[in-house]
Amino acid sequence: MLSDADINLLIPAQALELAARDIYASLVSRATKSGDEQALLELIHSHHVAYEQSLNGVLGKRAATSRNAEVYTRFFAALSDSSKTWSTLLELENIAVATHTAIIEKLSSAKMAALLASVITVEARHAAILATQISSNLSLALDNPQQALVTQ
Amino acid sequence: MNQISRRELLRLSSLSLASGLVLAACGKQSGVIDDGAIARLGDTPSTTALPEAEVTDAVLLRTAASLEYNAIDTYEAALDLGVFTGSLAAAKDVAKRFRDDHQAHADAVNGLIRAMGGKAHQCANVRINDLYIAPALKIITEDANPNVGLDVIALAHALENLAAQTYQGVVESITDPKLRADAIRIGQQEARHAALLAQVLNPGLAAVGPTFDATTGKANIAAIPLAFGSLGNIQLVVGAPKADGTRTTLLLETPSLNSLVYDGVSC
Repeated sequence: MLSDADINLLIPAQALELAARDIYASLVSRATKSGDEQALLELIHSHHVAYEQSLNGVLGKRAATSRNAEVYTRFFAALSDSSKTWSTLLELENIAVATHTAIIEKLSSAKMAALLASVITVEARHAAILATQISSNLSLALDNPQQALVTQ
Repeated sequence: MNQISRRELLRLSSLSLASGLVLAACGKQSGVIDDGAIARLGDTPSTTALPEAEVTDAVLLRTAASLEYNAIDTYEAALDLGVFTGSLAAAKDVAKRFRDDHQAHADAVNGLIRAMGGKAHQCANVRINDLYIAPALKIITEDANPNVGLDVIALAHALENLAAQTYQGVVESITDPKLRADAIRIGQQEARHAALLAQVLNPGLAAVGPTFDATTGKANIAAIPLAFGSLGNIQLVVGAPKADGTRTTLLLETPSLNSLVYDGVSC
């Protein structure tokens, strides 16, 4: 049984994943990328669907009812410039990594912390691969300069 | 036919019970002094109790620190082999950067351990080295192996996955939420290392997600093999091809009870 405090931490995590899911969905539906790039977007989209659904299952009736509108609006606008696709997505993944990590720091449930940890290690992989689409700079792929979204 | 009557059976039972009571009464607890009159063979050796091996937050972090040193030592060994030449020349700088990252991770983890009053651990995990790394390096550096450079990268990839999985795995076991976050903050960078090395071993965007070898049906190395971070064993295929074309497969597992770095373990 999750505490109210943990539920209130996991709802924004799910809302962030819903925003990420919809951002990738919009890119996939545009179909402006090459075959392999399109496949990469579809792969990462499917992962964010899985994360959102797993959190939805955990939260049950208390699940988020809408995506993080601020994140969605900001990144959707940034993606209107197709030359910034990869850097925008890299920023999104790094924000997700930072935010979920900040949530783990406050969660009392070890099982929920483990769930988010299993998401973080893959979102970090997303970020590393997206960075390679921008440049061969190792620091871009390995370091996370993004701050967590504010959590309660 | 030997028949025992009910009366005899009851008598024998009573005798056995009485004998047991007498023997018990003659034991140490009865205060009887052992004068050596009763013959015996040998002495019961004295035993030393094993130290308490409690799995604490500090033990889990000491284990994580030990893996960082395994990685540092492996990258050092790889650089010393001098195999990062030709098409693999760029891997030299990658190996140096990753080695430095692991040193930074080790320092950070040991800082956390000291902050909680624990003892820092500044050397590699012996059991992980003996079970996986030393055997792998032995196979990789055999004269007949034509792929030493790529195999060293495959070993590094496996170790990065091992480190990422270890940090991910300890999140559930660590009791302090802040330390859980500190652990995964490092673990996520190990995952990035693994993703980049996977792209060296199996390059191209088409190989980022899960793919399978058309001939063997086995999973190829992938930068992002699954939607969620795995905690399963890690397959490492290295060495010279055998007569049937197959190569040696080693299975790596994250540290378990017999490879944790308990408080009593020192370098």
